[in-house]
Amino acid sequence: MGYFLDNFAELMDADGAWIDIGMFIGGAGSSAAGWWTVIATVMLIGVLVKGNSDEQDHYK
Amino acid sequence: MEDQILALTADLAAVKSAAQVTNTMFAEMYYYVTIPLMVLIHAGFLLYEMGATRVKNVLSSGVKNLLAFAFTIAAWYLFGWWFYWALPTWPLDLAAGAGYMEISGIGYANAIALPWGDSAQYMGPNMADNASGVFWGAFALFAATTASIASGALIERIQTVGFVICAIVLGTAAWGIAAAWGWHADGWLVTEFGYHDFGAAGLVHAVAGFFALGVLINLGPRVGKFNADGSANHLAGHNMPLTVTGLMLIIVGFFGFLMACIILPGEGWSWYADKGTTIYGTPMTLSALAFNVPLAAAGGIIGAWVVTRDPFWMMSGCLAGIISVASGLDVYFGSTVIAVSMLAGMILKPCADWLEGLGIDDAVGCVTVHGTIGLFGVMMLGILGSGIPGLGAFAPDDTVAISIWGQFVGSIVMFLLGFVPGYVVSWIISKAGMLRIPDAVQERGLDAVKVPARAYPEGMASPESES
Repeated sequence: MGYFLDNFAELMDADGAWIDIGMFIGGAGSSAAGWWTVIATVMLIGVLVKGNSDEQDHYK
Repeated sequence: MEDQILALTADLAAVKSAAQVTNTMFAEMYYYVTIPLMVLIHAGFLLYEMGATRVKNVLSSGVKNLLAFAFTIAAWYLFGWWFYWALPTWPLDLAAGAGYMEISGIGYANAIALPWGDSAQYMGPNMADNASGVFWGAFALFAATTASIASGALIERIQTVGFVICAIVLGTAAWGIAAAWGWHADGWLVTEFGYHDFGAAGLVHAVAGFFALGVLINLGPRVGKFNADGSANHLAGHNMPLTVTGLMLIIVGFFGFLMACIILPGEGWSWYADKGTTIYGTPMTLSALAFNVPLAAAGGIIGAWVVTRDPFWMMSGCLAGIISVASGLDVYFGSTVIAVSMLAGMILKPCADWLEGLGIDDAVGCVTVHGTIGLFGVMMLGILGSGIPGLGAFAPDDTVAISIWGQFVGSIVMFLLGFVPGYVVSWIISKAGMLRIPDAVQERGLDAVKVPARAYPEGMASPESES
């Protein structure tokens, strides 16, 4: 999931113009974005479940 | 000669290219700036609600507010943004297909608004896309604002996680659908009824206000709010200056909120090459807001002062003044704004008292300021703006103009989009035991029970609590 280029010199073509970069999130074009979304969703739901459990303990 | 023409042509192309880059960067910056301005709304809500809370519950109110902000933004990324683009034509088109402008429908939303697959290119850094991020950011703050509006009504007795679930439902589903239907050029309320709500009086404020009412019915009042004979006690917050300053910060943030409602010209996603428009593609300028927002704020303060002489209600009147003209900020004349917003400021407190008389404990007048005045604002545009085109020049010939009927239908829809989800979700949460904080804990103070910090460690305490 590193940067999308090996070094910043590659951002320019031989004429010194910017290359057509487009999406440059880690894992662009792969399933990585979807997996990160799954991980984030599970973490958020987990926080709510644990948070509710702790909160109910406070009220006992 | 030919060489000179070629050189001039090349120069012209370079100038046009540079001008386009400037326009694109200006547009990106314009929407980007609206985001921190709207964060000020949340700074305001934080001060406002903590000030309106008794000392024993101050930090608990703050935690609730911060989590509503955080979870709504995350949920907006995961699915709220998708609702907005997917559902403008639904349920008139049960398959939720694309509308006339072909920038809506499930297929379109799947292509641009999901954080996975090919759509992910529009949901993260992309050098070929200067628009998606800033639009998403502005809409995320719209969503968080909608969710936070309901928060103040519920302070001092709603559980944290139960509230966060309500906030997610309000900020993403209820508001996302309201915006799809009434704040999108393909939205069926717009195309079929001419519904017009430039500054979101209905689709943000009324939805949030009546969502709060639905929750309040299941939540019940704070301990000590009502006496056995049904009469109400005033449970004063611990810090009026904090509350009033918070309200003023909300007004500052409103300028960002409202400027984000303008579509700039000259970009691929713009309605026109050389004119600013509303989200409906109808023409407008930022100057319209510069006239009308300060005038509305002034009218609301004055109207509330006439009736109450109370700084809390004067600042609530300031908010109400802006909300009362929000639907037509793009078309109203300044003097009209003064009159309408003063009226809103005057009716505010009597409406809130009426609601309290029904046994509803709305701690900060949220249902009235946002719900009642929101619908008041939607209907005022129907009365004052009937006949104005509801969509821009690109719209189909049979597009319906703004009308009293269209605004009335929109008002009913916005009421239901707020109240029904609010009532149903809070009922379910209540049945799961996650809605109301036990009375004994309320009496003791929420901060002492569940916050590992003290708001004022060197002094100030509610007389009956441990905080």
